[in-house]
Amino acid sequence: MIEVQRFSKRFGENWAASDISFQVKEGEVFAFLGPNGSGKTTTLRSMVGLTVPTSGRILINGVDVRKFPRETKRFMSYLPQRVVFPDNCTAREVIDFFCRIRDLPPGRAEGVMQAYQFADLSGQYVGEFSGGMIQRLGLAVAALPDAPILLLDEPTANLDPQGVKRFREFIMHQKENGKTILFSTHLLHEVEQLADRVGVFVNGRLAAVEYIDSLRRTYRATTSIEDMYLHYVEKRDYERN
Amino acid sequence: MQGKTIYVIARQELTINIRNRWTLIFALVFGVLVVSIAYVGIMAEGFSGVQSFTRTSASLLNLVLYVIPLVGIVMGTVSFTGDKGSMELLFAQPLVRTEVMLGKVLGVFASIALSTIIGFTLAGLVVVLGNGPEGIASYLSFVVLALVLSLAFLNLAVLVATACRRKAKAFGIALFLWFFFVLFYDLMVLGSTLLLKGQTANRALFLSLFGNPVDMVRVATLIILDNVTIFGASGAALLRFLGGGTLSVLALIGGLCLWTILPLVVSHRLLLKQDI
Repeated sequence: MIEVQRFSKRFGENWAASDISFQVKEGEVFAFLGPNGSGKTTTLRSMVGLTVPTSGRILINGVDVRKFPRETKRFMSYLPQRVVFPDNCTAREVIDFFCRIRDLPPGRAEGVMQAYQFADLSGQYVGEFSGGMIQRLGLAVAALPDAPILLLDEPTANLDPQGVKRFREFIMHQKENGKTILFSTHLLHEVEQLADRVGVFVNGRLAAVEYIDSLRRTYRATTSIEDMYLHYVEKRDYERN
Repeated sequence: MQGKTIYVIARQELTINIRNRWTLIFALVFGVLVVSIAYVGIMAEGFSGVQSFTRTSASLLNLVLYVIPLVGIVMGTVSFTGDKGSMELLFAQPLVRTEVMLGKVLGVFASIALSTIIGFTLAGLVVVLGNGPEGIASYLSFVVLALVLSLAFLNLAVLVATACRRKAKAFGIALFLWFFFVLFYDLMVLGSTLLLKGQTANRALFLSLFGNPVDMVRVATLIILDNVTIFGASGAALLRFLGGGTLSVLALIGGLCLWTILPLVVSHRLLLKQDI
């Protein structure tokens, strides 16, 4: 269970995230929806301890991420928006490195190499990889620890259609295995296809948290899900003014 | 803090750095220069043999004082201003930030040390084969001091990279620091002592020595090589104040340790508070 309690983050004079609270249940797929700069990435990054909260706290299974980073991060696997690996390392070395960092048995690396089709490419340097292969390696690294919680920051940004398809299959597979998944996106159809619940981010605030089914029921008759999102944005702007 | 995690990160960093062509170029150029300098002694001594360890160390000193700090500061900056995506992925693993910092420092230092030691070993072999092992202890002390100097500048680079975050800015400041300590500092100190008189000038010279790791290594090496005649004003002031070579070297080693540890302590404090 993930619990974000009154999380706020300020960069200089700007509040990137302000008073954000929500909970994510075990096995749930939760999407952060919002335009660029709405606070999705800041919130997601703070959940793995990359961003230090200005106030508030984040609990993973009741344990504070800030106070116990090692213990809480064992439950999580995070994939940044832009995945980068050292050019002069092979896929095998990258997987082995993360395997050793997480103290996983060597057999786990072997299994992931096979599952993500790197077994035949194990000697090839990452610098020779295509964008799609690097993404696949990123997903392999994310899947490596078999962590119960997956955090993915705009995973389909900059991907070609094949990469997007691969990512969706990855999410569905992880969901079937009972993983709790949080991902950020600004693509509404992605939320509709993959998420159970969505948190709508507008100007650094969490404007709403809704079940996808409930949203569909509410807005089906009159508007599209895009209109629903714009409704929240306008409502937020109205409240600010 | 877990030693195993630090070791895994250090090993990865060492692998990356060893495969980096700049490390290879440095190792090659440094090796060629060091061996060449050792051989120059043959001509200087009328082809009577390769020069001794003491003379080789003294000849290598200037090269070391210019090149080693530059390599330390550049490689440290490159490593600690790495791509955001890879840093995020690393820091998101179940570890604490201290482990990442120490692992990366050790890995980069190991790669610098490896390149440096190869160069020094080749030169050492040339000297041993030509002139025997006499004076090898001073030579080894000189190698250790060169390594400490590289670590001091590596840690300065870590501090700059942690404080600046942006690659271009960090590189600019790091190179300025190299220029300041290697080229400008002595001029500044000597210029300022012209404004002071007698004992005050001496005291200023003595204290100024501890403000620059490059000067500390230079003076400590010259004391170890028993080459006090080319000390310069700060070294002479040091001997006068501390009254002997051993005490002076110990004081300089203490100063170097501080220069090595303090930037890392400050970087660590910054790293714990900042966003990745």
